[in-house]
Amino acid sequence: MNHSVNRSPTLDEDDAADDFEKDEVTLREVINIKLVESGEKENLMELVRDRLVECGWKDEMRIACREHVKKKGRKDVTVDELIRVITPKGRASVPDSVKAELLNRIQNFIVSAAL
Amino acid sequence: MSARISFLKNPDPCNHLSDYKLRYGTDGYKSFNNLFRCFNDGRIKIKLQGIDIPRCSYCSVYQKRLYICLICRSISCSSHILLHTQLNKGHDIAIDVERSELYCCACIDQVYDSEFDEVVVSKQLIGLGMSVKSGAAVVAVRSNKKRRLDSQLIIGSKFLVSPRDRREKWTFPLGLRGLNNLGSTCFMNAVLQALVHAPPLRNFWLSGQHNRDLCPRRTMGLLCLPCDLDVIFSAMFSGDRTPYSPAHLLYSWWQHSTNLATYEQQDSHEFFISLLDRIHENEGKSKCLYQDHEECQCITHKAFSGLLRSDVTCTTCGSTSTTYDPFIDISLTLDSVNGFSPADCRKNRYSGGPSVNATMPTLSGCLDFFTRSEKLGPDQKLNCQSCGEKRESSKQMSIRRLPLLLCLHVKRFEHSLTRKTSRKIDSYLQYPFRLNMSPYLSSSIIGKRFGNRIFAFDGEGEYDSSSSSSPSAEFEIFAVVTHSGMLESGHYVTYLRLKGLWYRCDDAWINEVEEEVVRGCECYMLFYAQERVIQKAHKELSYQVISMADAFPFADC
Repeated sequence: MNHSVNRSPTLDEDDAADDFEKDEVTLREVINIKLVESGEKENLMELVRDRLVECGWKDEMRIACREHVKKKGRKDVTVDELIRVITPKGRASVPDSVKAELLNRIQNFIVSAAL
Repeated sequence: MSARISFLKNPDPCNHLSDYKLRYGTDGYKSFNNLFRCFNDGRIKIKLQGIDIPRCSYCSVYQKRLYICLICRSISCSSHILLHTQLNKGHDIAIDVERSELYCCACIDQVYDSEFDEVVVSKQLIGLGMSVKSGAAVVAVRSNKKRRLDSQLIIGSKFLVSPRDRREKWTFPLGLRGLNNLGSTCFMNAVLQALVHAPPLRNFWLSGQHNRDLCPRRTMGLLCLPCDLDVIFSAMFSGDRTPYSPAHLLYSWWQHSTNLATYEQQDSHEFFISLLDRIHENEGKSKCLYQDHEECQCITHKAFSGLLRSDVTCTTCGSTSTTYDPFIDISLTLDSVNGFSPADCRKNRYSGGPSVNATMPTLSGCLDFFTRSEKLGPDQKLNCQSCGEKRESSKQMSIRRLPLLLCLHVKRFEHSLTRKTSRKIDSYLQYPFRLNMSPYLSSSIIGKRFGNRIFAFDGEGEYDSSSSSSPSAEFEIFAVVTHSGMLESGHYVTYLRLKGLWYRCDDAWINEVEEEVVRGCECYMLFYAQERVIQKAHKELSYQVISMADAFPFADC
């Protein structure tokens, strides 16, 4: 699938900052494609999953979800709402060690894939 | 290996899902069969041909949650899924690409359909080739014997029913009576109070099913703990409110457990287990047809026996080996209740992240911890059948069958063999008066591995989906044994719930207390009963009885 076909035409060609951003996004996408193709993305996902369970993050999130449901009442909560409310808490409480490890792995990958 | 649809917890479908099912049936689900990609740990994703990275067809994003429409197979992100429904009438149901779970775009919420889950999980199970190692216990369980406790009413040979209780000023329920402390025996009194007021046990003894006058062991001059309990039951329900001394039972118990025959404080839980054990030994010998306690018809097992399931999964290939073990109580760890060690708690604080709201430990937290998937250490590698060599594995416990009476023991006493020290964990544990055990059943725990599904695994639904006689997972508390003080010099007190009111039983002193007092206590053993048992007991306690003391005077005690 040609990605550019699906991209919405909202770019301001005169803005250099936007250009820079466009390149950044493209680079991120390229890395992502390479990660997926090589199967490394799956490995990284599994790693993150394991680490987040080990350090208790998953349980924290479950408790947070329960608290929210208790507050709103079981019938009034949707999955979307939970995601909306819990995601910021989740992102904020990921331990630095997990972030560091993931970053390290991705850096190694980039080097080894000669990007 | 059969997979059955269980009627466990089938939430009602929304209108949109019903409409979809009417129109398309399960064909839509089945058409996705080739698109499922299965993983060893139970995860199932949707994998479209030729597309490595699925993207939203409206905004091209790939990082968000994506849904694939069941009808037109177009992919939308969470922001645009509503738009998709609005633009395409009838395209309401979609599947979460990452998790293979149903989603209703119109309701903006997850929905459930057991037929969908069946299609999804069947695919997964074929791939995994789950194996079940069944012991004799499982064979017995699968033989479809419905074990129902026929608890007879109090109206037995010993009591008469009268329309009005003569002792009107004594408003305590029948059977409530203090127990004298015979020298650090509060550990025994606490357990006795709980057992005397456990409906199945109370009914068993009061209806004369172990009559000390007819007991063969006793006539032979042998020790018989059930006979001693018969004496106690009679005494407790005699109508006499003066504190009773359970000396016979204490003496008999000493004779059985000579190492514990001291005037030192003992562990209430240890006493509980040993007492039930003795009852089984005395009662069960004649009634126990099988080696294992599974089908034992003694009162101990009828009341307290449940079945635990243990799954050991190879982390490499995902194949699982399952074993079943009976239990008469569950001991819960209090320490790591929040799922993380105290060390991680500190780490979070230092890294400046939001402080782990070290919420109060709760009973559900303990039960979650008990049923967690535990990675076994590298030194505990097990031989995996399908890999053919020793592999790292994970273990997970769950409850296959719930007992009539559920005793939950909170492990507050830690004995360290290495350091030869013991300590007591004093932290407060929050617990509910009504407890729903379904999240800890094997069907729920196993099911969670496969994402959010309604599905019966490996015949798990068999026992639960049977007719009205199937036990529910709803429990109500009827007794709480608490321990206060230090390890060596503490004190046990029992709170009993009778006819909706709470009573504090502190050795010889009984008084009614407010609910809050019980909620705030330091629980050590929690006694729950299936709600129908409690409901039945309520009715039974409503009968006013004239005691034997009036009609036939009590000879001893």
